[in-house]
Amino acid sequence: MLFRPAIIALILASSANVAMVLGAAPYAMDVIRHWDIRSGSERQLRLERRTYLMSVLLSVVLATQLLALLLFVFNADKMAPVFIGAMCAAGVLNADPYGYPALLAQIAVFFLAAIWLAINHVDTLAPDYPLVRVKYGLLLGMAPALAAACALELLYFLNLKADVITSCCSRVFAASAKGLSGDLTALPPVPSMIAFYGALIAAVAASTYTALRRRGGYLVAVTSLAAFAAAIAGVLSFLSLYVYEHPNHHCPFCVLKSAYAFQGYWLYIPLFAATACGLSAGAIQPFLQTPSLRVVALRVSSRLAGVTAAGFAVFAVVATFLILHSHLILIAGVTP
Amino acid sequence: MIELAGVRKAFNQGRPNEFWALNGIDLNLAPQQATVFFGPSGSGKTTLLTIVGCLARPTAGRVRLNGQDISGLPERFLTGLRRRTFGFIFQQFNLVRGLSATENVMLPAYPLGGDWRELKERAETLLDSLKLSHRRTARVEWLSGGEQQRVAIARALVNDPEVLIADEPTANLDTALSNEFLGILETLAGEGRSLLLTSHDPLVVESSVVRRVVALRDGRIVGDR
Repeated sequence: MLFRPAIIALILASSANVAMVLGAAPYAMDVIRHWDIRSGSERQLRLERRTYLMSVLLSVVLATQLLALLLFVFNADKMAPVFIGAMCAAGVLNADPYGYPALLAQIAVFFLAAIWLAINHVDTLAPDYPLVRVKYGLLLGMAPALAAACALELLYFLNLKADVITSCCSRVFAASAKGLSGDLTALPPVPSMIAFYGALIAAVAASTYTALRRRGGYLVAVTSLAAFAAAIAGVLSFLSLYVYEHPNHHCPFCVLKSAYAFQGYWLYIPLFAATACGLSAGAIQPFLQTPSLRVVALRVSSRLAGVTAAGFAVFAVVATFLILHSHLILIAGVTP
Repeated sequence: MIELAGVRKAFNQGRPNEFWALNGIDLNLAPQQATVFFGPSGSGKTTLLTIVGCLARPTAGRVRLNGQDISGLPERFLTGLRRRTFGFIFQQFNLVRGLSATENVMLPAYPLGGDWRELKERAETLLDSLKLSHRRTARVEWLSGGEQQRVAIARALVNDPEVLIADEPTANLDTALSNEFLGILETLAGEGRSLLLTSHDPLVVESSVVRRVVALRDGRIVGDR
């Protein structure tokens, strides 16, 4: 099972990520303990020379984690024919107990990597390395999450057995299923639709305001997170039903298949990009008052908010398009 | 004002052939004057000049330009600073063969963008001011040593730098050409530029244009007058 190009790529990317972060840990500790930009000591100058190299290497490694999430889901979908009972990624992820934890860990790493990349980007825009301690402290804080994600991914792939009969989306994402997926699936359509559009409108409005007025980064982060949660809940509770034109098919993964013209990618890529940018806009907010960052951090925050607004708007437009073009009558009296 | 505080520079640090080219340089260089770093070969003159001009980083110590630390700047900021603030005249001139004098002069200004015609005009004006307009279209390898040096001077001036740095500028020139070069320096000093030179040529050190001579030996300052 391991000898599939996508799995090898995912394991390599994840291992490189952990190796790089562990390799950078002693340097990060050194920076946190000894960094003093006013000093001209050999140690300080050595740290300054190395920080550029470390930042570039870490950026490349963490940027691969952004793509790794996409590959992880794509690979799970492609492996569906291998497992008896699996029709899409939902079944493949359910083929051993580590599938869904690995996916959730990969999503967490995606957002953490995006936040670190944004902070690192802002830091490199100032001449005096103002966020160098923050970004290496964050890196040390992220290390356990990255290691856990790598371990879960390895456990998931190592425990995949082709002779396992798995349950697919109709069981996992059913209103009767236990756990969060069942609860979200069972949400009544009208309230979840109100929450869905309400949260998206709030996120687009807050992001647009921040992009134009250059203030309110925390609000962008909060509304982005809320919009992300509402969007996932909306996909499970009603959007998937409109896409499949089936009142009981709640799967968030089948929409990624060719049978549905890969429409899921049009939904998920803007959604994840918008959420990552929204969270990043909030993450750099505490540093707007740093003297050397006042201008550049505002500019970056504004751009991130702009991408957030655009991403959620695209997601909302695609979702609305899918609903309007569906033949399913989900809400009595409302015909698309 | 350029300020050096505790500047040290090692090559091959931590290896058996470790060599400290500079060993604790503390210096304040006033603006708009010509300063010569004087000393024997291996005394650290060129290393000091490359550190002041942001071509190399010190192993320890700080360099400040008008109060701003420039020795620790990230590379993306250093590039712009070098381009705007410093003009370099290298010992071997380092002109690009195959290009004309004008094209060589224009080269450092290309990354700044700007209007090409305006730049060409500026390059030709500089060559004209250095009495080289009749050779502006000639390839640099066809020029004499003195002419090549004047092209190098024009190239160093094309971005209108605040500080002009010249490494052993008269090393390859005879007495007449050296005197001609000193005459050009006099003009540049009169324009209010800071001039930093390395030399062990008595003609340069004793020139009236030079306001300060800093003597170096074994990477340390041994005299300052």
